[in-house]
Amino acid sequence: MFEKLIDNSMAKSPWIFHINAGSCNGCDIELVSVLTPRYDAERLGFKLTGTPRQADIVVVSGPITVQTRDRLVRTLAQVPEPRVVVSLGSCPRSGNVFKGSYAIDGPLEKYTHVDVSVGGCTPKPEAIMAALAQAAQILAEKRKEMRK
Amino acid sequence: MNELLLNLFYVLVFPGLLFCILMGILLAGLDRVWVARMQRRVGPPLLQPWYDFLKCCGKETIVPRHAKKAVYFAAPVIGFVALMTISLFLPVVNGRAAFSGTADLVVILYLLTLVSVCMMVGASATGSPFAGVGLSREMVAMISYELPFVLVILAVSRATLSYDAGTGMPLTFSLQAIMEYQEANGPLITHWSLIPAAIAMLFVIPCEVGMHPFDVSEAETEICEGTLAEYSGPPLAVYKLTHMVKMYIMTALFCVLFLGGLTTGILFFDVVIFILVCALLTFVTMSLPHAVCARFKTEQVFKFYWTVVAGLAAVSMILVWLGL
Repeated sequence: MFEKLIDNSMAKSPWIFHINAGSCNGCDIELVSVLTPRYDAERLGFKLTGTPRQADIVVVSGPITVQTRDRLVRTLAQVPEPRVVVSLGSCPRSGNVFKGSYAIDGPLEKYTHVDVSVGGCTPKPEAIMAALAQAAQILAEKRKEMRK
Repeated sequence: MNELLLNLFYVLVFPGLLFCILMGILLAGLDRVWVARMQRRVGPPLLQPWYDFLKCCGKETIVPRHAKKAVYFAAPVIGFVALMTISLFLPVVNGRAAFSGTADLVVILYLLTLVSVCMMVGASATGSPFAGVGLSREMVAMISYELPFVLVILAVSRATLSYDAGTGMPLTFSLQAIMEYQEANGPLITHWSLIPAAIAMLFVIPCEVGMHPFDVSEAETEICEGTLAEYSGPPLAVYKLTHMVKMYIMTALFCVLFLGGLTTGILFFDVVIFILVCALLTFVTMSLPHAVCARFKTEQVFKFYWTVVAGLAAVSMILVWLGL
């Protein structure tokens, strides 16, 4: 019964950890606008945490610069299972306008499995909200699979 | 046999484990909803802290390589048990505590310290530099609120005797005696000389609990949750639960110290009124400063508590010891 309660609350309390992998700050600001009063992600239980150890959803923005690559991999390894990775904006998906640059080493798929990907430069807050809600559902499913 | 069952009931149901957890979840949920409403947000559902707790239970626990494993797991549990023990000493409803002694106020003071110390020990066992910073900040916060807290307790314990014919001791640390005094003479907050102490106690509550403007040790944006930086999974869930229950314990302690002795004569109404007063205190002392203030710096917390709050408490103490 306790396991069932945990399963049910998994999607209701996803905590977000945000990694900026060389982003231009555009996506970061849009993510913040999702958390602030106008879109208020907290009504779905989302909360921004300060440490990857407590995170359920990892949001990565930016084209993965060479400088941030190792930190990104290390931070992702610190997130406990079950976890969901969301790629935010066009950069972690394809490299966007920075594609081909000597300074970037993307896309994000090279380093981790990406569960939800939001396109756009920058994506709308509504789109980010939808992606986060979807990520929460995936989180609950992952938890159920983990138990099997 | 009957006595054993009764004691088990005290420890596990009321006013122990179950009641504490329910009240903690209720108050923490109300706090989050109120803060959201004051910031013009919809806010999370009322049971959000409960969902958070369950979710943390279902996560993997990653123990850092440098961590001392036994301490890492034991610290949150010991802290939680210490906090639970306090609830048994509080004469919350109908003026009787589950267990009472001659100096239970001192025991409560030490148990509250033990909760913070367990948190610090757990943090230091993780070996994380962020936890190290959080631990030193928690220590400063503890020193800040302990002084006014002790002054308030001294004022209250003296006031309950100064009006009576003295019993030989200059002051009492028995909550039972304080309760009986209030039943006979009205709640202590109605004595004008104790009003500064009551205000000081209202300030002590949020810092003791570690709520937002005073949460220097868990500053999530600056030092990655500080003392909790390396915790995940069930131990983190226990810490979150400790935090919730602490909200209830501190508001209940205020009720006992300053608002005791009021009764309608019907147990059910007493419990309802008690819960409402706890909720009101949560709003005034925790939600309101949370929504209004930005986080203080560590030295600001220290300065504020040792000048303004300790000053208020000291004024009260001097008035009471002069017999006013």
